[in-house]
Amino acid sequence: MKNFLTNWTLFRRAEFFSARDLLQRAIAISALFLILRLAGLKEFTGVLNGTIGSLALGWKLSAFLAVIYIVFYLAFVILVPVLILAAVILTIWQRYIRKKEIPLTTPDANA
Amino acid sequence: MLIWLPCLHFVFTRPVSVFRLDQGLSPGARQLAARHLQLWTEPTLREAELKKMRVSNAEWDFMGRSYLVWSLANIALRDPASKPLYLQTMDQIIDETLRLEKQEGMYFFLMPYAKDRRYVMQPARSLFLDSEIALMLAARRVVEEKPEYKPLLAERVNAMVERFQKSPRMILESYPDECWMFDHCVALDAIKVADYLDGTDHSALIRDWLAMAKRRLMDPKTGLLFSSFTTDGTALDGPEGSSLWMVAHSLQLLDEDFARDQYQRARKELGVITLGFGYAHEWPQSWPGTPDVDSGPIFPVFDISAGSSGMAPIAASAFHDEKFLQSLATALEFAAFPERTHGRLKYCASNQVGDAALLYAATLGPLWQMVQTGAKAR
Repeated sequence: MKNFLTNWTLFRRAEFFSARDLLQRAIAISALFLILRLAGLKEFTGVLNGTIGSLALGWKLSAFLAVIYIVFYLAFVILVPVLILAAVILTIWQRYIRKKEIPLTTPDANA
Repeated sequence: MLIWLPCLHFVFTRPVSVFRLDQGLSPGARQLAARHLQLWTEPTLREAELKKMRVSNAEWDFMGRSYLVWSLANIALRDPASKPLYLQTMDQIIDETLRLEKQEGMYFFLMPYAKDRRYVMQPARSLFLDSEIALMLAARRVVEEKPEYKPLLAERVNAMVERFQKSPRMILESYPDECWMFDHCVALDAIKVADYLDGTDHSALIRDWLAMAKRRLMDPKTGLLFSSFTTDGTALDGPEGSSLWMVAHSLQLLDEDFARDQYQRARKELGVITLGFGYAHEWPQSWPGTPDVDSGPIFPVFDISAGSSGMAPIAASAFHDEKFLQSLATALEFAAFPERTHGRLKYCASNQVGDAALLYAATLGPLWQMVQTGAKAR
């Protein structure tokens, strides 16, 4: 399993702010959000209209769980697409635009 | 971020027909109704929902019943084939509400501060309860006559009319010396529907009350009706979105031009569409207000009121403001956390009363139309 993960380049530690780093962050946020979603924290968002999420857990804990869910939800719907878009733009720039710039500094050009 | 944020609403936008249809039942309305019918067929589920709401506000328990009965009346008129099921649930809700009122007293559905002072007009009655119960009974009878409810409706209507006539300014209390525009409009709607059902005529009372409200109960800066006031007509809360959207819809049955004028003013002062998402402020800019149980939490920066935004679909739907309605529905998909399971829909960020108000927004129309045209149910 470890070999599989280390061989899978997406899970290898990436250079900060590289395309892979951005994708890794997007995946991490998505995974955390999925866990919170499956754990049923969505039910606590009733605090947004002033209704207690759970009588058993009380106001404070219900509100805390709601805030956690909402933060990760917003990160999932706003930040994750932005990270993916940034990764795509960065990749395109590195692979195609920068490559096109290289021929300008070929030996011919230096001569 | 600059690319994504303007596109975000596309992920959550659905055709407005998913929320409301002119004829028949929209998929959204069907799913919301299924969830509410489930609550009334599974007592433990209902009890858990109501307990959660009553911790914050006992009124919500009552209003959730009212909105559901009014919605079911409209649904039964839209979908006559399923009428028996809807009538059965309406009767169950009405009977239980009347039983609780009789058994526990009127304070059962009011917030605790109702007991802090003495009602100005004696014997004490709350227009909040009388108006909504009367409209529940009336709506049920429009769908199909039920002889047992005829005297119950007449009793409520007579009590309200008598008190309107007894009050020097035609202003009645919901709480001690606290009167609500919402309750007055619903009361007059119930009286108007009773006139349609029983051949009585209270048009003079309705005309006089509207003239009084335009003269005394209007904010001069915005031209919007005050939400709450004392028995002498002094404004308490000013124009509030959480009341006004329903008030504009209620007025449609009483004075259509005035209703449209109120909606257009409310839309201008309170309704907002940002990046494709619709929401509403609780107060106009000229009226500084403090968040309370009606406004719900106010979200800073955008000044979004949960209460006002939750009620805005009622008016947007009633006045066929498709653009605003669609943007509000988009915001619901984005921020109200819809949960769809087994053909049932609930909004997790809402509660039973909020969902019932949304169901009403998705189904309103046929009831008012029948009373306005004088038609009879099939």
